[in-house]
Amino acid sequence: MSATAPQILDLASTPQVSMLRLAKVEVRKALDTRAGFWFTTSIVGLVLVVLVIVALVATDSFKQFDNFLSIAGGVLGYFMPIIIIMLVTSEASQRNGLVTFTLEPRRSRVVVAKFLAGATLAATVMVLAAVMAVVANAIAIATGADADWSVDGNLVFNGFVLANAIGVLVGFAIATLLMSTPGAIVAYFAYTIILPVAVGFLSALSDGFDRIAPWIEFNTAQVPLFEGDYVPSGEEWAQIATSGFIWLVIPLVLGVMRLLRTEFK
Amino acid sequence: MIKVERLTKKYGGFTAVDDVSFSCQPGRVTGFLGPNGAGKTTTMRVMVGLTVATSGSVTIGGHDYHDIPNPGRHVGVLLDASAQHAGRTGREILTIGAETMGLPASRVDEMLALVSLSDAESKRRLRNYSLGMKQRLGIAHALLGDPSVLILDEPANGLDPAGIRWMRQLLKSYADRGGTVLLSSHLLNEVELIADEMILIGGGRIVAQGNKEQLLSGAKQQATLVTSLDNTLLAEALQRKGFAVTTAGSGLRVEAPAVEVGRVAADNTIVLTDLRAGDGGLEDLFLELTSATQRDDIPEGVQA
Repeated sequence: MSATAPQILDLASTPQVSMLRLAKVEVRKALDTRAGFWFTTSIVGLVLVVLVIVALVATDSFKQFDNFLSIAGGVLGYFMPIIIIMLVTSEASQRNGLVTFTLEPRRSRVVVAKFLAGATLAATVMVLAAVMAVVANAIAIATGADADWSVDGNLVFNGFVLANAIGVLVGFAIATLLMSTPGAIVAYFAYTIILPVAVGFLSALSDGFDRIAPWIEFNTAQVPLFEGDYVPSGEEWAQIATSGFIWLVIPLVLGVMRLLRTEFK
Repeated sequence: MIKVERLTKKYGGFTAVDDVSFSCQPGRVTGFLGPNGAGKTTTMRVMVGLTVATSGSVTIGGHDYHDIPNPGRHVGVLLDASAQHAGRTGREILTIGAETMGLPASRVDEMLALVSLSDAESKRRLRNYSLGMKQRLGIAHALLGDPSVLILDEPANGLDPAGIRWMRQLLKSYADRGGTVLLSSHLLNEVELIADEMILIGGGRIVAQGNKEQLLSGAKQQATLVTSLDNTLLAEALQRKGFAVTTAGSGLRVEAPAVEVGRVAADNTIVLTDLRAGDGGLEDLFLELTSATQRDDIPEGVQA
């Protein structure tokens, strides 16, 4: 057939790779390396350890399902973004982007698939955390605490789901912006640890800055999501929106634009 | 099947690929030859949409690569065998490819068998692979989707002699079944054994293209290496004809085309045990052609 082999590729019988399949592959890629697997396992393990310790040593009045859920959400929210950072930056740091973007040259589809994969992983880990909170509360009750299974819907939505979703998106933004695994992880810790501390210092020193801080610093703005009645006031929501625009929306847009254009070497 | 038209890629003031046009035919292996930094990889990256061309175009089977749905099913690509997550096993790397393309898991085992990676090797992580094993895995990955076009950048790199021979046969039979193969190399002598058609590139420009005979027909052949059962007699006979003869290893180096040396031997009924071009053949031609467009310090007419 060599002499008569067609010069035109017949594409009629080839459907494009479905988004579901791309997202499934991305979930697999997040977990199939030693780093990805053990990191995810460690987060889940860490949440469990923290919950069990609290269940055993905290004062009985603290041992409520709500509090366990809040702790699980806090620990998770802190480390979840790193899974996303590794999933995105490995395309450049480990150079497998060459293959990823050759098998799906429309990069925007890969970006969406990674978003979906990140969301799926985050949702799965959150469910696991909720299950562990149930276990911790059961241990607490078994060891003498009063049974309190009441759940505050605001905590579940604001402190658990929304806060974790924001964390995952921040991880995504940092990852796409820096496209380097170590760089992005360092930047993430700088953003979550150093930045709030620095802002705290400045706030302590300057009375004016104290009032400005929640408007321009995203971590500070998010505090009302985890504290008190878990319901930010109107002003606090505005602060979340404003600082979120600076620290989440702008980096995310720039990062995704970079991912779509960068030359994977 | 692959058509490159007036392709140019500039990085700032540097022109990596300069107005390159060529095509690759189905059923043939096309060799893409050039020294390091000649523009081979950049051209191939543009082909598969990883790099955006400054001007010009590339189509594969009449399509822009971006417009090919599930491209792995049509175009097998190996650009860099090391460009995979070092923490994944070989089997996992192929599985990810197969899942993306929507292929059954059995395809992974078929490909591992095809490239002779054992079950135990397939479960090792890529960081523990030798370069040759990575190349085999990369070729397996390129062939996963049973594509009709193969684009391979330096696939022979790191393979042992048996591996190179294996790959040569694999690509030959692939082309014989109607596939289109484009492979790049800087190992000129290696490619002339595989390629039906050759494209020589230097400094981002195509300096020559055609099959081996066409390429060499223009080049002047001046020296021949010959070994016979009676070298002394042959040397005398050649010198009587006016050819300069020097001893070279166990044989002779004659400043004459092979056909003249053969004729002298036949006339004198001397049995030849080895007769070949003393020039570098393609290599000489290549260095000659690229020296104008390449770096200045390439020595002229390097002897074999």
